[in-house]
Amino acid sequence: MMKMVRIYIMGKEYKVPEGLTIMKAMEYAGYRFIRGAGCRAGFCGACATVYRKEGDYKLYTDLACQTTVEDGMYLVQLPFAPANKAVYDIKKIKPDDKTLVNFYPEIARCVSCNTCTKACPQELEVMDYIQSALRGDVKKTAELSFDCIQCGLCALRCPAEIAHYHVAQLARRLYGRYFMPRALHLEKRLKELEKGKFDKEMERIKKMKLEDLKKMYNSRDIEPEESEETRESD
Amino acid sequence: MEMAYYPGCTLKTNAKLFEESAMKAFSLIGIEMKELDKWYCCGTVYSLAKDNLMYRLASIRNLIRAQEEGFDKLITLCSVCYNTLSQANIMARNDKEAMEKINSFMDEEPDYEGSVDVLHPLQILKEKMWEIKERVKKPLNRKYAAYYGCLLLRPAEVSVDDYENPGIMEELIEALGGEAVNFPLKNECCGSYNVVANREAVIEANYRIVTNARKNGADAIVTSCPLCYFNLKDMQKEVKKAYSSFIELPVHYFTELMVEAFGVK
Amino acid sequence: MYPKEFEKSIKKVEATREERMKGLPERMNAKEREEILQKWHPDYKPEAKRKLKIGPSKGSIVPNEVADIIEAYPVANPDEIDASKPDYSVDVLIIGGGGAGTTAALHAYYNGIKKDKILIVTKLRHGDANTIMAQGGIQAADKENDSPVIHYLDVIGGGHYANKPELVERLVMDAPRIIKWHEELGIMYDKKEDGEMVTIHGGGTSRRRMHSAKDYTGMEIMRVIRDEVRNIGIPVMEFTSAIDLLTDGNKVTGALLYNMETDEYMVVRAKATILATGGFGRLHIQGFPTTNHYGATFDGPVMAYRVGAVLRDMDSVQYHPTGVAYPEQIVGLLVTEKVRGLGGQPVNAEGEQFVHPLEARDVEAAALIRECYGRNKGVVTPTGMRGIWLDSPLIEMIHGEGTIERRLGAMFRMFKRFGIDMRQEPILVFPTLHYQNGGIEINAESQVLSKNGAIPGLFAAGEVSGGVHGKNRLMGNSLLDTQVFGRIAGMAAAKYAKKSKYGKTTLQHVKKYVEELKKAKIKEERHAPILLPDYREKKVLSREIDIL
Repeated sequence: MMKMVRIYIMGKEYKVPEGLTIMKAMEYAGYRFIRGAGCRAGFCGACATVYRKEGDYKLYTDLACQTTVEDGMYLVQLPFAPANKAVYDIKKIKPDDKTLVNFYPEIARCVSCNTCTKACPQELEVMDYIQSALRGDVKKTAELSFDCIQCGLCALRCPAEIAHYHVAQLARRLYGRYFMPRALHLEKRLKELEKGKFDKEMERIKKMKLEDLKKMYNSRDIEPEESEETRESD
Repeated sequence: MEMAYYPGCTLKTNAKLFEESAMKAFSLIGIEMKELDKWYCCGTVYSLAKDNLMYRLASIRNLIRAQEEGFDKLITLCSVCYNTLSQANIMARNDKEAMEKINSFMDEEPDYEGSVDVLHPLQILKEKMWEIKERVKKPLNRKYAAYYGCLLLRPAEVSVDDYENPGIMEELIEALGGEAVNFPLKNECCGSYNVVANREAVIEANYRIVTNARKNGADAIVTSCPLCYFNLKDMQKEVKKAYSSFIELPVHYFTELMVEAFGVK
Repeated sequence: MYPKEFEKSIKKVEATREERMKGLPERMNAKEREEILQKWHPDYKPEAKRKLKIGPSKGSIVPNEVADIIEAYPVANPDEIDASKPDYSVDVLIIGGGGAGTTAALHAYYNGIKKDKILIVTKLRHGDANTIMAQGGIQAADKENDSPVIHYLDVIGGGHYANKPELVERLVMDAPRIIKWHEELGIMYDKKEDGEMVTIHGGGTSRRRMHSAKDYTGMEIMRVIRDEVRNIGIPVMEFTSAIDLLTDGNKVTGALLYNMETDEYMVVRAKATILATGGFGRLHIQGFPTTNHYGATFDGPVMAYRVGAVLRDMDSVQYHPTGVAYPEQIVGLLVTEKVRGLGGQPVNAEGEQFVHPLEARDVEAAALIRECYGRNKGVVTPTGMRGIWLDSPLIEMIHGEGTIERRLGAMFRMFKRFGIDMRQEPILVFPTLHYQNGGIEINAESQVLSKNGAIPGLFAAGEVSGGVHGKNRLMGNSLLDTQVFGRIAGMAAAKYAKKSKYGKTTLQHVKKYVEELKKAKIKEERHAPILLPDYREKKVLSREIDIL
């Protein structure tokens, strides 16, 4: 006999087996997702859910696919957040410390209430990255916001009506394109490809007989595993 | 004795010069400042709203950061930040009801105990005149008009000096070997944030203040506020367009004068 | 928190840890690999597959679940649909909004198609795809000690030599330019301070050429290319699936679309159509749980098969060796290969190593299955699921404290949500259904092939296509596949669209297919494409009445 718990889906009571995720519990109850399910693994932000617990006034937010139901849970899904995105040509921007606030002037309205941070299912320091954006620190904004899955919960809860994840997206692209140094070995390889350095070898290997190919494959020398010295510095 | 340093947004962007010169100058006269690990925009004039506690959160959160890092003194350069943080501190120390609400809302933070003093460098420099004089290598030998603006002096509870007739900056100028001219418009408002939506008001104010300084013999104006600095300095080109007879005058942060007089590069 | 029953085993893992740090088991030789696959890989169970009864690939062996939806009737009766009057006319129609579809759209635009003449349709949201979940990385031979030819060798050997050489050539030769394009878009690949790309091994690679963006590589790529589509303003219709292609009897002329929310159908005519519909994880081959996203239901091949597309290598299914085995809430979800790449060793319930951590995926999966079901040395969970430990604390010991949080943030977070700290405790894994190795046959210009050559007007890119990976895909090559062939498809579709005209939009090929089904005596019990899996409780379903 499975232990059952009571949950309220948009106010309607259902009994579902203990231990299911909110997503699986809703399906158990008979809901079939059109909106509200994406990757089902915590990466896409499609299943943003807001809920309360019995006897608790606090509002909780999390992803339906990653959260286990509790007895008395009172929930609703918010699978869409209206949020305007600025339009830009990343190649034409000359980034300075005003770029982010120019594209998203509403970030100046941030009152440091921290509601966005509390809403984030990825536990990111959302307010801190908006504050970094406000003072033009593109690097810090990019780093603090990196794990953002763009679920929209921060934007929906923000009293200053900021769309945090769009600001962060711009910051990260600026950082990747303008602040991180380019990989020189990559440019070198591209020049070699242009000059056709590998063309002859490629033709040969494509036409190789199966026996020779197998021999070549089984006698490959394998580069050693990553060692202490080659660990990347942060 | 180390103090917490609160930069504020402008000091990290438009007014980097102010922060750099302050850091250089202050280290030579024993003022130790350590930037807070985490700090937030003070909320500027919005935080002064009387009918919305939400806008006070930023200032209180900054004070909590200072408290958490173990400081009992917080120093800031920007006049607006100084003013808003000070007024927030006064509310924190006197309005129990408001603080209960704020502490309860910020339930992820420790309660603010009211234990941090908010200071402006000019208040500290007042007590360090001897050390300053000792450090002077290249006396300034020029005439300066000390401009205070509003936010360092009003309201009375947060004023860094006598709000009708302040004298700290003049004392500093003299200690650095310069001459502080008589300057009746020293606490006349520069127009402040009107520069955003009502530039004519700033142009008017600039014209009167700068002309007054010059007519009183000043070679340059000295200020302590990035917004006043912008309104008095960067706006001069627009004043020139509006008043062809207008003659420009250089504007400096008081810390720039200190760096020059101390002979630091 | 692990249940009490696991404690004994975990202690054994901790006891052998120091010793295990000293070395790894030998990699298998070719003969050993063959043997373990034959005996233990799910692909080699003859009763799980059958021969297709109809169509261009009649007689080829595919998993039963695939045969079920190939040998199925269309979801919309072609006799009841008027497909003759298009609601939309575009130059390039892209079906699928993942990595391949989005890249195809961008390259169609770069190659001269006006943005309003491109249309991406996706049955979920733009970006809801397997791409966004790819964690470990993307391969590219851009380092001095590596070359595209070595990359080629790794791919073809890993694919059991069944790959199509000209497709592998494109995959490896175009890889560096893709990374460059990404760099210019602002994708934050992990780099050293001087800009050198941080690269590691994946299963089956002979060089450390996997580029990554922490363990959110797919998400980082997807976010940026999606942002770019939005900046340019290429139209995207979300919650709109394609349920059949349209032809004029010769070429593909567009698609029949279905609004998932309003239930209406729409007709799009297009000069070129690109299928980028991804994989088939939600068919739950052989009942396995899957790492795939909600919409991975094999729609593209179903539609393409009806216009004559050949399918290849469908007998080979990739089971990712490490899907979550505990806790139950997240069973089947991906535990990135990077965990093994960084030193997390597979360890059985007795604390012993039994296989090299980085064999190619099919070999690795077979080894884990053998350990659990052949040698009975797996851990048994309260729900009866069996699993093997991945000793993740080793990663902190080898690379320093903080490595897991920095480089495996997504994994750390996933387990932390359920009370497991992978820095201190090993994690439990078991193979999970992961990737469609085969698919629609394409040539090196991404054109879809029938038995008689390229089908005019139809292109395919990404997981939906076959031939790139042979019988087994290497880690880091699927993101690469979406980008390289997304680009090729976009370019080729643009070129084709510029010199073609619209054609009549009919469902005549579907009618012909229905006749074939009837001739083969296949009853009208199943309909396809299925669009979404159905996880509603059986009891609820048995009471369902369709009133509204």
